Amino acid sequence: MVLAVVGLGVACQRSAEPAPASGAAPVADAPTAKGRTVRHAQGSTVVPLHPQRVVVFDLVALDILQALGVEVFAVAGDQFPGHLAAFADPKYPRMGTLFEPNYEALHAAHPDLIITGGRSSAKYANLSRIAPTVDLPMGGVDYLDTVVANTELLAGIFGKEEKARALVTDLRASIAKLKETAASRGTGLVVLVTGGRISAYGPGSRFGLIHGDFGVPVAAAGLSASLHGEVIGSEFIREKNPDWLFVIDRDAGMGQSGGARQVLDNELVHQTAAWKKGQVVYLDPMNAYLIGGGIQAVDRLRGQVAEFYAAKAP
Amino acid sequence: MIRLAAAVAVIALLAVVSVFIGVGDVSWHALVSPGPDEQALQVLLISRVPRLLAVLLVGTSLGVAGLILQMLARNRFVEPATVGAADSAGLGLLVVTMWMPQLPVLGKMFVAAAFSLAGTALFLLILRRIPLRSVLIVPLVGLVLGSVFDSVTTFFAYRFDLLQSVNAWKTGDFSHVLRGRYELLWVTFGLTCCAYFAADRFTVAGMGESFTTNLGMRYSRIMALGLLIVSLITGLVVVTVGMIPFLGLLVPNLVSMFLGDNTRRSLPWVAVGGAGFVLLCDVLGRVVRFPYEIPGATIAGVAGSVLFLSLLMRRDARVG
Repeated sequence: MVLAVVGLGVACQRSAEPAPASGAAPVADAPTAKGRTVRHAQGSTVVPLHPQRVVVFDLVALDILQALGVEVFAVAGDQFPGHLAAFADPKYPRMGTLFEPNYEALHAAHPDLIITGGRSSAKYANLSRIAPTVDLPMGGVDYLDTVVANTELLAGIFGKEEKARALVTDLRASIAKLKETAASRGTGLVVLVTGGRISAYGPGSRFGLIHGDFGVPVAAAGLSASLHGEVIGSEFIREKNPDWLFVIDRDAGMGQSGGARQVLDNELVHQTAAWKKGQVVYLDPMNAYLIGGGIQAVDRLRGQVAEFYAAKAP
Repeated sequence: MIRLAAAVAVIALLAVVSVFIGVGDVSWHALVSPGPDEQALQVLLISRVPRLLAVLLVGTSLGVAGLILQMLARNRFVEPATVGAADSAGLGLLVVTMWMPQLPVLGKMFVAAAFSLAGTALFLLILRRIPLRSVLIVPLVGLVLGSVFDSVTTFFAYRFDLLQSVNAWKTGDFSHVLRGRYELLWVTFGLTCCAYFAADRFTVAGMGESFTTNLGMRYSRIMALGLLIVSLITGLVVVTVGMIPFLGLLVPNLVSMFLGDNTRRSLPWVAVGGAGFVLLCDVLGRVVRFPYEIPGATIAGVAGSVLFLSLLMRRDARVG
């Protein structure tokens, strides 16, 4: 017991040293001759001014960089869906996958800057030994705020602050508009379907922006903010009886023919208000799941939800 | 006979309790004096009763499959999940998902069963080729073979970003069982009955090839029948609900401790015990984090490993 406490104390000290004070938004400091110090999810890193050879291990970062008009040097992974399709072009060398970087290729590429986040965050320690590495924080309870902070963080590194301000102002305005509509249009429940199983997600979860920022009233109170949601059955959906059922078909997001429609097309879900009013919304799995916190993905998701609300106007 | 009837009665009681556990409002009162829309009755018929039946069918058939496999492999430490039967069925399911995703459930089941048949046959073939120095070699060979199938599945699932879906199907879970989604499991009931009629043959086959041949029976035919039953049950269960660990191992061993190895005598007990085990796990999984669920297989894994270890400690003197 004593040992455990001591161990915990040491762990706290260690993690307290490089990590930013909790709650402080990650920002870039004023530049010096060596570069600028950027505080991010796993500490602070000195990033050279005007980095040219940028390797990106995160679809969210790629989404934001594209929106800011920053050219990247190399990418990771095989899946570049939707608006990120341009990165599938062989002119961008592949540096392994999001989960397994190709360290040899990386060494040979001499990058100025590596960007990790989400699925590749675990590789931060290894990657930061090769080149200055910045880790983008994941969206949590303050989903939209994280998206904005990440956009500003990247904009600061590449000197695109003005472009970022314009993007953020537009996004905030259009989300505020959706929030107004959503508040009066009934409750919603967010579910993810994979391999025939259903799990539910609440506010503060990885799909929490639907409740928190889009302002859809919660149908099932008490859902915790766990990354993989809570396993539920169709009985749960029927009992909570949401007016809107937001579905993320994970398998469809992975390029397989998704079975979510088949799973949800059952006698119990048929009894919910959402099914009866035709308000079962299949969210674009790319924007909701794969590229969750990208500024373009969030805006596209907002657009999709707003369109559904408009189509079903009372 | 009386003791078996008592065991069935206990499980029937548990079954009645399980029908009243769930998110929807199903109470005795709501059933006796139904409202205008008969919601409680609907939930009962659409969700609760099918789920109960699926649990019972999976429990009985997996227990019986474990017993038959133990006879065929002449080893107490094997079950469909540890000889590659379940892992090869999972590989079959992955193949279907990748190349023929639109195949109806019946088709998926046949592919999974065919893979499971091939996997189990390969296991038995390897067993005949290797000199057996210890009874523990048999389950080890099974585990290694299963891991080979599993690593192939994992490789392709990883390449095609299907790891999470593969985990979801493989984990035995009854949360998605509804009317119209489990009926294929009745086939396992038929297979269990087949196993009962052929029970004496499996007992004889458990004595070895020469013994069986000396009695004037065709060893290879009994093997083939047993294999077919085990693989079909495994394929069906993996396709409809996923795998329940430990069941096929624990229940037959517990029963044989008390009743010996006469298959015709022990088979009904194995069936009843298997049903009770899965039912208990499923009910616990629904209660622990109500109104959310924990997959029955997770509960079975935790409870099963504890039970199995205590079983091993007790019978260390007569392993095998």
